[in-house]
Amino acid sequence: MALLEVSHLEKTFGGLTAVNDLSFTVNQGQLVSIIGPNGAGKSTLFNLLTGAYRATTGKVVFDGQDITGCKPYQSARHGIGRTFQSTTVFGNESVIDNVIIGQSLHLKTGVWGAVMRTGKARREQEKVREKAHSILDFVGLADVATRAAGGLTEEAQKRLSIAMVLATNPKLLLLDEPTGGVNLEEIGGLIELTKKIRQSGITVCLIEHKMRMVMSISDHIIVLNYGTNIAEGTAPEVANNEQVIEAYLGARRVA
Amino acid sequence: MKHIASPHAAGWLLALAVAVLLPLFVGGYLTSILLLIAIYSIVAVSLNLLYGYTGQLSLGHSAFLGIGAYAFTLICVKLHLGFWPAFFGATAISGLFGFLIGIPALKLRGPYFILVTLGFAAIVGVIILAWTGLTGGANGLAGAPRPNPIPLPWGGRLAFDSLLNMYYFTLFFLMVIVFVCRRLVYSLIGRTFVAISHNENLAESLGIDTMRKKLLSFTISATFSGVAGALFASYNTVISPDIAYYARGMDLLSYLIVGGAGTMAGPVIGTFVMMAIPEGLQIVPTLRTLINGVILLVFLIFLPTGIGGGFKTLLPRLGRSSKSGMERNGVA
Repeated sequence: MALLEVSHLEKTFGGLTAVNDLSFTVNQGQLVSIIGPNGAGKSTLFNLLTGAYRATTGKVVFDGQDITGCKPYQSARHGIGRTFQSTTVFGNESVIDNVIIGQSLHLKTGVWGAVMRTGKARREQEKVREKAHSILDFVGLADVATRAAGGLTEEAQKRLSIAMVLATNPKLLLLDEPTGGVNLEEIGGLIELTKKIRQSGITVCLIEHKMRMVMSISDHIIVLNYGTNIAEGTAPEVANNEQVIEAYLGARRVA
Repeated sequence: MKHIASPHAAGWLLALAVAVLLPLFVGGYLTSILLLIAIYSIVAVSLNLLYGYTGQLSLGHSAFLGIGAYAFTLICVKLHLGFWPAFFGATAISGLFGFLIGIPALKLRGPYFILVTLGFAAIVGVIILAWTGLTGGANGLAGAPRPNPIPLPWGGRLAFDSLLNMYYFTLFFLMVIVFVCRRLVYSLIGRTFVAISHNENLAESLGIDTMRKKLLSFTISATFSGVAGALFASYNTVISPDIAYYARGMDLLSYLIVGGAGTMAGPVIGTFVMMAIPEGLQIVPTLRTLINGVILLVFLIFLPTGIGGGFKTLLPRLGRSSKSGMERNGVA
């Protein structure tokens, strides 16, 4: 079943076409990687899917609903979660507060409940805190829950930014280079986490440059170049695709 | 959970004790200064909710002070209603103005938002001055009443015609508003405010309707500033356009920065320091702006987090374990 259907999506910045007549589908439960050279339009695509950018033309259907032109908070409420290429956490807040903030969209307590600290508000707070602890357990940050998020290592901050998105209860998780800027020895852990998220039933869309990671964990790979998908398929299919090799290594010289 | 009072709670109790006892030992003049400090503290506290905790800097809070004061007086004088209907009416009107201005203004970010709030304050000031039929123009308005006497359970009545009782009345509202802000900031809603102040885009990507939350913060902030306006009108019984003078918005910001934006006690400490120092030194009013400017500069350079921010970094060294915002909530 198709969870995400993108059809004829296009985004132009002035004269530059960043995404060009792009169509693809992501099926429920899959781990789909989006690869391509720098400037191929991968991050722009994520920004279009989450509503950070407005598409010039085209349509995005998610879970049966047309979400083209949604605002970022609306797409998050529809169930699309995303992380950013640059690591983004609320550095001044504690790790657990970051995950608590991630649950804000499900919040029911109003101003009155918050000020009067009604029983309902306290129960919700307790529930939110418990869920935050279980998410931190899941991503492996349970022992640094009370530390300031800004003081964590790059790798731990990556985990935390994933934990924050998981707190929104996404159906589809868009990960923009989850291993970017992380030590080589630490990448394995992040790959394991990505697999674990997918096993928990969340569909994952991954932008990644590390080919070994992409080839080993993806069900499906979409190759972008100049804003359009030049190839799609399983890892071996894509690896042997003539156009893909050309995009990465340049055209084969004839004669 | 430990039952030993935290330095925080002890500090608040000490400040409250001083605020309650001090007027008993000083003269009427200083009590009237303390009363004004309490009124401006209310505005500074509400500005702190918006700027310190939600990250939206408003230079227009003088307008809400003015709207509260004028709405209160007008409801009393023109509609012949009593203190409490006028008080709640003025508060609601001030909040409504905040809501209506917030809708277009909060769509803008950073300096653009600040400029709209400043423009709003300037416009409100001009309207109050020019609409002589309603506001009395430069002559101002008279006839705002003091609160109705409250019957006491053991007989007798608590009347507010004395300066001292009016001071306690104002202090009570300051305490309530500080309490409400504290509860709000350390609640789950407050966490979303703080998230917006740190990184609005990240907050929005997590599904937080940032526009709605900012509007909520702005409306609450305007409402509380309206309370201060109504209290001022009731205390002074006469109001003039001076109360809504737009430059006061910048004074309030300087109180907040000196005291420490984004700390609970900051706005109260800042207002006290910035208003009490020139008073204590008997400085000529024209020189006050200069002195305030110098103090503000010194703080911006040497202690940009303000007095409250300084304490915040100092307190953990006094043996207080670092707790998350939500855990502090449990202790409060």
